[in-house]
Amino acid sequence: MTATLLTSGLVLSVAEEVFAALVDGEEGKLTPWIGAPVPFAEPVVAWVDLAGEWSGRAVLLTERSTADDLARALLRLDPSEALGDEDLVDAFGEIANVVGGNIKSIVATNGDLGLPQVSTTIQDVSGTVIEEVLLSWRGRLMIVRVLHLP
Amino acid sequence: MRALVIDDSRAMRRIVGGILRGFGYETIDAGNGQEALDALAEHGPVELACIDWNMPVMDGLTFVNRVREQPDLRGITLMMVTTESEHGHIVRALAAGAHEYVIKPFTADAIRDKLDLLGLLPMEETV
Repeated sequence: MTATLLTSGLVLSVAEEVFAALVDGEEGKLTPWIGAPVPFAEPVVAWVDLAGEWSGRAVLLTERSTADDLARALLRLDPSEALGDEDLVDAFGEIANVVGGNIKSIVATNGDLGLPQVSTTIQDVSGTVIEEVLLSWRGRLMIVRVLHLP
Repeated sequence: MRALVIDDSRAMRRIVGGILRGFGYETIDAGNGQEALDALAEHGPVELACIDWNMPVMDGLTFVNRVREQPDLRGITLMMVTTESEHGHIVRALAAGAHEYVIKPFTADAIRDKLDLLGLLPMEETV
């Protein structure tokens, strides 16, 4: 088990790389969150399980409106183009998938990555928090958590 | 040239397909390995297949194995495009017959560099 290698700095680095390459096409749009977190009015959570010698879960949590805009950015949609629920689930889940996959490479589970899941119920995601990083994507709060699963 | 883009994420198919079309490819989408095999049966062999690893129904590694079992599909260049970045996964994919391995997240330049190495860029795109 090598989860002790994981630090908040590495989680931040993974998230920055994923967002720069896939979502924004440039660096600097995802930064550490400054100050106290604001509560989510309509949260959306996406996660992917990391199976193997060490079992865990990588989780992305944000406001629904932020997840919508993340999906639009990933899909390169024009503002006039409609975003369906399937698009949101697919795109937000894929971002969690890529973040989780890169975290898994640090933890080195020697196992497989699960398929991404998306929910509007935070209680669907349980486990012991190993790392939690608060991020600002274009000024809006996004939380990345890495959980250890029994 | 034609490419098969195999990923269960529509967003990722759109991104990879867009990059390949920018290089002059005609693309065919498949949501998993079985859909990809069905597409090959319907459309015939392609020059390139970009393959995600973790997919429902049939995963990417199984797809690679199935393609390598079929002599008429031997000419397809297989490129894994996946979040699975542990060394063991890369070794397993290459041992099964994949030619290249791209780890998500990637850039269009990274895809172009791989295609150039494989000799699969149209002449005007060759770097």
